[in-house]
Amino acid sequence: MKFLNKIIFFFYREYKLNLSGFQDILTNIIFFFVSILIFIFSIGPDEEVISLIGVGIVWALLLLSSTLSLKKFYQDDFENGNLLIIHLNGFSFGFIAILKTISHFLFVQIPFLLSIPIACIILNISDDKFFYLLTSFSMGSLTLSCLGSISSSMNLMNHRNYLLGSVIVMIFSVPIIIFSIGIINIEQNFNSLINILFGILLIVFAINPWASGLCLKLSLENN
Amino acid sequence: MIIVKDLSVERLDKRIFENINLSLASSDITILKGNNGSGKTTLLKTILNIIEPSVGSIYWKGKLLKKNLYDFYSNVTYIADRTSSLTRLTVKDNINIWKKIFLSNINDSQIETALKTLRLENYLNQKVGRLSLGETKKLELLRLIIENKKLWILDEPLSNLDEHSIELIKQTFEDHCSKDGSIIFSSHQNPGIYVTEEINL
Repeated sequence: MKFLNKIIFFFYREYKLNLSGFQDILTNIIFFFVSILIFIFSIGPDEEVISLIGVGIVWALLLLSSTLSLKKFYQDDFENGNLLIIHLNGFSFGFIAILKTISHFLFVQIPFLLSIPIACIILNISDDKFFYLLTSFSMGSLTLSCLGSISSSMNLMNHRNYLLGSVIVMIFSVPIIIFSIGIINIEQNFNSLINILFGILLIVFAINPWASGLCLKLSLENN
Repeated sequence: MIIVKDLSVERLDKRIFENINLSLASSDITILKGNNGSGKTTLLKTILNIIEPSVGSIYWKGKLLKKNLYDFYSNVTYIADRTSSLTRLTVKDNINIWKKIFLSNINDSQIETALKTLRLENYLNQKVGRLSLGETKKLELLRLIIENKKLWILDEPLSNLDEHSIELIKQTFEDHCSKDGSIIFSSHQNPGIYVTEEINL
C-alpha cells in the first residue's frame, strides 16, 4: 500500500511540475499547428492534395513536435538531484524510467492526441481516416515516449550535442510511421498492422526500463 | 549502524581516495573534511551505493549494504550540495510534495514551527527560484524534519548559511542524536559542531 501511495504521489509531483511548465506544452502544440499551416501555405489551396497527404503531415509533425520536449524528460530532475532522491525513496532506476515514460505519455502526448481532431478539420481528413489516425497515434505515441526515455537517458552523459537524442528517436520511429500510415492507406489490413504496432510497443516497453535504468545509473555515477 | 571498511574509489584511472575506514553507531556524528575535489561527495555517493568502490565494503546493520539496500534507503535522508527543491514551484508546493512522496506523518503546525525557526514563514507562497541561496539551503534542510529518518547524509550542509542558521543546524544535529539518530556530513571546516569521528580526505 505504501509503495502504491508513493507511485500515486510521484504522479502528483509530475502533474504539479507539468502544470507549472504548461507554457512548454502549449508551445509544442502551437509549433504543431503553425507547422500544419506552413505546409498548407507551401502546398497551395488544392483540397484534394492536402487531404491525400494530410495524414502523413500530421504524423510527421506529431513526431517532430513530441521530440521538442525530450530535453526535459530527465534533464531537470538529473541536474537538481531529484532523480537520486526518488531512487533513495525506494524506486529502482528501471522503475523510475517506466514512471517517467507514463508521465511523458500523459502530460505531453495526450495533449497532442486531443489536438488531432482540430488538425484533421484543418487538413480536411475524412472521418474514417481520423479514427485510424487516432488509433495509430495512441499506440505510436507511447512507443515514442519509450524511445524518448531511452534517448534522453543516454543524452544525460552527452554534454555536447543534445540534438543527437532527437535524431535517435527519429531514426527508430521510422517503422512506427510506416505501419501507422499503412493502417490508414490499406484499411483492410487494419488488424494485422495494429498488431505489428502493438508488438513494436511491447518490445520497446520491455527494453525501456532496462536501457534507460542503466543509463540513469551510469550518468549519476559519473556526475 | 554503518561500517565502511578499507574503501577505495578510482575513476578514470585516477585514485580519488583510498583505505577509508568509518564506523558510525547510533547518536554518532562523523565529519568528512577536505579541500575542493578531495572526494567528499564521491565518498558520500559511494556510501549511498551510487558509485561502485574499486576496493572495500560497506555494511549496514551488520549485513553487506548491497544485500540490505531497501532497509538502508528507507532509513536514510540525503541532502546534496545543490538544491533539489523545484524552483518553478512555491515553497508551500515543495513542502506538500515532499510530505506526500516521503509519506511523512508531520503535521501542519510542526511545519509552521520549523518554518518560523528557519525564518521562512513569510516565503510560503514565493517561488523557490526567487529565494536567496541561503534561504534555498534552509528549505532543503527542512526535508530532514519532513522525512524523519534515522541516518542523515549531508553534503556541505553549512554552505551559504548565516551564523543564526548554523546555530540552528547545530541544535538540530544535537536533537537528532539525542533520539538515536546518526549523521555523516561533509564540510571544509567545522564551526564547533560536536563530532565523534573526523575523516580527513
